[in-house]
Amino acid sequence: MSTEAIIGSVISGLSTGMVFFLVAAGLSVIFGALDIINLAHGSFYMVGTFFCFQSTLWLGSIPGVYWWTVILAPIGVALVGGLTERVFLRRIYDVHILYQLILTFAFILIVEEFCKLIWGVGYHTISVPWPLTGAVSIGGMRFPVYNLFLIGFGIVTFVGLEALFHSTGLGKTIRGVTYNREMAGALGINVPLVYTGVFMLGCWLAGLAGTLMAPMTVVKLGSDMDVLLNCFIVVVIGGLGSLPGAFIGATILGLVTSFGIAIVPGLAIVFGFLLMAIILIIRPYGLMGERVE
Amino acid sequence: MKEFFKGITGINRVWLAVVFSVFLVLPFILSPSWLSITTEILILSVAACGLNLLIGYCGRVNFGPAGLYGVGAYATGLLLEKTGIPFAVAMIGGPVIAGIIALPVGWFCVRRTSHYFALLSLAFGQIIWAAIHSWYSFTGGDDGIAGIRTPDFLMSIPSYYYFTLVIFAICLVVLWMICNSTFGKTLQAIRENPHRVEFIGINVRKYLLIAFIIHGFFLGAAGSLYCGFSHAIFPVYASFLKGNDILIPCILGGIYNFIGPVVGVTVYIFLSKVISAYTMYWLLFLGIVIVLVVLFLRGGIVGFISEKLSPAMQRRGVSGDTRG
Amino acid sequence: MILEAEKLIKAFGGLRAVDGVSLEIEEKELSAIIGTNGAGKTTLFNLLTGGSKCDSGRVIFNGEDITTLHPYEICQKGIGRSFQVTNIFPRLNTFENIQVAVLSAQGMSKKLFSPSRKMAQEETSEILESVGLSDQKDVLGSLLAHGDRRRLDIGIALAIHPELLLLDEPTAGMSPKESLEITELIQKLARERGLPLVFIEHDMNIVFSISEKVRVMHQGRIIFEGKPEEVKANDEVQEIYLGEKV
Repeated sequence: MSTEAIIGSVISGLSTGMVFFLVAAGLSVIFGALDIINLAHGSFYMVGTFFCFQSTLWLGSIPGVYWWTVILAPIGVALVGGLTERVFLRRIYDVHILYQLILTFAFILIVEEFCKLIWGVGYHTISVPWPLTGAVSIGGMRFPVYNLFLIGFGIVTFVGLEALFHSTGLGKTIRGVTYNREMAGALGINVPLVYTGVFMLGCWLAGLAGTLMAPMTVVKLGSDMDVLLNCFIVVVIGGLGSLPGAFIGATILGLVTSFGIAIVPGLAIVFGFLLMAIILIIRPYGLMGERVE
Repeated sequence: MKEFFKGITGINRVWLAVVFSVFLVLPFILSPSWLSITTEILILSVAACGLNLLIGYCGRVNFGPAGLYGVGAYATGLLLEKTGIPFAVAMIGGPVIAGIIALPVGWFCVRRTSHYFALLSLAFGQIIWAAIHSWYSFTGGDDGIAGIRTPDFLMSIPSYYYFTLVIFAICLVVLWMICNSTFGKTLQAIRENPHRVEFIGINVRKYLLIAFIIHGFFLGAAGSLYCGFSHAIFPVYASFLKGNDILIPCILGGIYNFIGPVVGVTVYIFLSKVISAYTMYWLLFLGIVIVLVVLFLRGGIVGFISEKLSPAMQRRGVSGDTRG
Repeated sequence: MILEAEKLIKAFGGLRAVDGVSLEIEEKELSAIIGTNGAGKTTLFNLLTGGSKCDSGRVIFNGEDITTLHPYEICQKGIGRSFQVTNIFPRLNTFENIQVAVLSAQGMSKKLFSPSRKMAQEETSEILESVGLSDQKDVLGSLLAHGDRRRLDIGIALAIHPELLLLDEPTAGMSPKESLEITELIQKLARERGLPLVFIEHDMNIVFSISEKVRVMHQGRIIFEGKPEEVKANDEVQEIYLGEKV
């Protein structure tokens, strides 16, 4: 591969990786605190893309319309998530994992059908917003500005989340609940509220990822499944429940996929799952997860 | 073996005879398209009952069952298409090869519990799917292989139905014996308390591996049957979504009863055909049903019925029912 | 001598739960291990039965080094164990709880085609009888009363044909009447089956009424070993029990 191709793959891999991170971060955080694998996480991402599209329709031609959707759409997704948690998930926290998996799978179906109902089966597009259109030249190569923006945004989000978890009272509360639910409850922490809050945070992140990703791809049904499986690979590599792990895992997956497509296009899809299986076999708690017996 | 059948009480024997007779005469009652659907129900039931050996009896979730199902289908399909071996051998080849693949897959999976078991089995299922999908020269890749010939006497719908019925009956009898054997009881103990069971001298991993291989064998058998049924093999047979076709009926019917998956499959396929005829939102309906079952009917349909029929029996132990 | 432990050490983090314990269990022994909470008694049982791995030291059973064996292997060699926190099979009924262990001891667990309904009936019934649970054989494990569940726990340990039985606080959480019944049961098991039996207990009445030997553990070590009267009279033991702050 030429240097250009390599760097091109790196940039593309990193920006895809950052989007993976944004989605997977939510999944990881939810698993860490609530001990639930939320299969519908990809669906929240997809709802994010649709909310983004819908917002652009509603807000019409006010200046900076896209940036307004970045604020609104994820909040909308978070609200949907909060509702879901309060009404449904709350009842299955301590039940056999099979029921959690199947219930959240049912959500995938329901969300897809609702999206189909509301927005139909067609594709929609959102144009890359000003001022991130076009490409820049660095060292004689051209990179889409938006990709670079995504990389930067991902890093900022990661730093922000880490700060939230480690330096704020809220973050400490969340971590307390994660480590020992009963103890936290005994100390007067409103555990159900924390659960709802964490779940909403996870959905907010997924919705944000969807909104940010919308200009780069098409808004369509089925995007939930594409994202979901990648999400799993990321959190497995990084370690369920670990935010830094999700960051590293997403970066690795982004790069592996990007290079995989460049080098061996036919087998690219196998790589992700192979990586996932290998990690689960040799180090199931991932690169940075907590050791489980 | 006879001892198993002595255990079936008088009234149950009558039921079995009635049910089996009904199945025998269905080709004379149903239209070819409904008969076809019934065949699909029988095939998926074999898969679901096989899967339930792991889920209901061992308490572990194979989240990628379509992988082994697909292996069975592709093994049979490729043997029929690319070699001249007899049909019967190709049909046996499916489950056998699925069982062989289940060995390394299971070996890795049984070393993990709960979430990690589910994720690893999912990963393997997807690897199998991706391998089938990408290996164009061998498997036909995305195009699959169509027009696979089965022997002439099995080409009609009624005749394949009877063929499936026989295989279905054999598979279910064997599975039933295994589930009600001392091995099956030990599996249930593993499900109930994987920690304690080590302290009664049971090597959990070994037992789970055996169960995994057996369940793989039956998943492969179902795949094989489906290959003969559809005369084709496509990568979608091994996909994540197909896997849910096998998993969901188990929950619907009830994972704690032997016959639960069969009931679940019947309801599932029946509903899917009937409802998709009326609306394009069948999946929404399915999603809602699943939510209701998970929240309120965790024992599934059969669990619910058996609780209503004899609450006293549920509190006590009744052999043959995995609830204890 | 049926079991010998040599200088067992097990640490969690920086804390040594078991700190150089050596002991010998004789073939006809009926003894108790006592000690304050956190003395390392349950950890010691875990080390002997394979539930935890020793950091160093050896365990020799019937002349064979079992230090690194898995729990199921040690079980097959003949060490049975009941647990401090009841550890049964909730959705199996009482009969099946015991039956599963008997089947394992008989080597029948792997039979794919032997109907469980027919196997190990006599032996299971006999064990149910000896722990006093015959009348509850159809009741689901999860629905048993606490005292009956502890009996079941013991029954399961008994069912694997043990040559040595280790019982961890068998009367935990029981009423005085039930405790007495369990005590009689323990004595009966030791006498009638000639089973060497070591039990962990907090109830001193039980300890002093039936055990022939008492070992006192404190902070991971056995600080005294002897007949019950000797233990009662020992100053150091008195100090630990009376002077110890919880």
